[in-house]
Amino acid sequence: MSTHEVFTDRLQAGVLLLPTMVVSLLFLYYPTVRAIGLSFYQASLARGDVFVGLENYRRLAGSTEYLRSVLLSVLFATCVVVGVMAVALCVSFLIHEIEVGKGLYLVAVIWPYALPPAVAGLVFLFIAHPNIGIFTSYIEALGIDVNWFSNGPQAFVVVLIAAVWKQIGYNVIFMTAALGNVPESLTETAELDGVSRTQRLLRVYVPIISPTLVFLVIMNTIYGFFGTFAMVDLMTKGGPAGATNILIYDLYRTAFQFYEFGFASAKSVVLFVAVGLLMYGQFRLSDRYAYYGG
Amino acid sequence: MTSERIRRFETEQLTLHVLAATVAFLIVLPVVIAALVSTKRAGIVTSIGDLAPGGHALSNYRRALIGLEFWRYMLNSFVMSVAVVVGKLIVSLLAALVIVYYRFPYKNAVFLFILFTLLLPVPVRFVPLYRLTTELGMGNTIFAITVPYLASATTVFILRQHFLSIPASLVETAKVDGVGPLRFLWSVLVPMSRAVLVGVSVIMFVYTWNQYLWPLVIINAESLQVAQVGLNLLRGQASTGEVAWSMVMTGSILTLLPPLALLVLFRRQLLETFTIQQK
Repeated sequence: MSTHEVFTDRLQAGVLLLPTMVVSLLFLYYPTVRAIGLSFYQASLARGDVFVGLENYRRLAGSTEYLRSVLLSVLFATCVVVGVMAVALCVSFLIHEIEVGKGLYLVAVIWPYALPPAVAGLVFLFIAHPNIGIFTSYIEALGIDVNWFSNGPQAFVVVLIAAVWKQIGYNVIFMTAALGNVPESLTETAELDGVSRTQRLLRVYVPIISPTLVFLVIMNTIYGFFGTFAMVDLMTKGGPAGATNILIYDLYRTAFQFYEFGFASAKSVVLFVAVGLLMYGQFRLSDRYAYYGG
Repeated sequence: MTSERIRRFETEQLTLHVLAATVAFLIVLPVVIAALVSTKRAGIVTSIGDLAPGGHALSNYRRALIGLEFWRYMLNSFVMSVAVVVGKLIVSLLAALVIVYYRFPYKNAVFLFILFTLLLPVPVRFVPLYRLTTELGMGNTIFAITVPYLASATTVFILRQHFLSIPASLVETAKVDGVGPLRFLWSVLVPMSRAVLVGVSVIMFVYTWNQYLWPLVIINAESLQVAQVGLNLLRGQASTGEVAWSMVMTGSILTLLPPLALLVLFRRQLLETFTIQQK
């Protein structure tokens, strides 16, 4: 690596690094530090900031509404991760096993990577609409009353399906790449031993691509927590009765509907700690379980 | 292979093709429905039979773009995305150049400082960021939706990984020729990194184009708003009956097209770049 280092002018190095460092400090680090500071204040746009110590955190700890939002977000993110990865793994394996014409299928399943979450939300709002949705009459024919504008669990499921749909593409991109790197000899050995297709996927491929899977668990979790904001905003506005009020939506409302910036900052700090723990978890997990052979 | 084994192989492949085609169809279906609805007048489709394409495609897209001024949102999204892609690319290229090709003290600390920003996505800092940008007088301007995005741990990381994979011997030659750093970047590194530069540009474009939360809170002048939030306004109008649902689907398809086109056109470079990111 050291042979790459052909330049030694420190002043030059500093100048070239300056843009990244300034933007990072001003727009990434400083706001984070400020969120921590602001979380000890009662702050709104109209009135001045009043120091309240740990009051915001005390309020958070005692709020059953917030606790509900935390549990809801964890449940939602878990469903997103499991749903997306199960579907994407099957799809990627299917495409991997095809000998001729993979390319076309690949484009047809990875495109939702480019899909804006807002569009995903609106399209699902439209096709699953309780009154005018195209699939509504068919689902009601099965005996299910489609009323997710007032039925919490239904709303949760509809937003979840939209969220999973949008994230399939991203997962298939990484999974097909990982499956493509599995040594051909392993597949041949498994086939000679008479291992069935499903067994080959679960016993041979999944352990080998586990580093990719660990990486995707983390990316999907972050997506489940944050990336689905637009869908919630466009489809349910956190409702009905808080059934889809995930943490990021709750935070948005605290800041921009109730203008409680201090309280919102405390909630931001909680999110920051959560992201930190997740990333740390990835670090440890990929060290412990991931396969690094080949 | 015996003829029986060949036949078994062929049936298996056929089954796989049928399954894959079904899955692909299901994944594409919601957007196909949206596209079909965008060609109809009212856009009320309550059964599969209603899905036949209508004859209002041209008038719908014209009405959305011109009548409802969606062109303005699209233009704002374009300006934002192109500015972020170009700015981020330049800023990150310079940073990656220093991190790979310079010898200086505390280099690892600098790299960690950049990587650590992965822990600070927009959602955990948009509340204080809102205050900061407003105080800087940048609220409600194009700067508010571009400048905060210019530092990117992901892009610097991908470029660094790529630069490290370029053989050091090539670099030595440039050094012997006494080429300066910017000249070296422009005439040695950039030509050797075309696929990766295209790949990260697509990743950055899709990321920026699809931003929703930050423009929603920081931009409140409709004339400066981006397409994603413009959709929110359309949705509101559809719910109150001011515009037909086919208008909402027309806006959705318009908003989907730019990132989708880039993905289809540059999928090879995109896939290649993602492989680097994961290492």
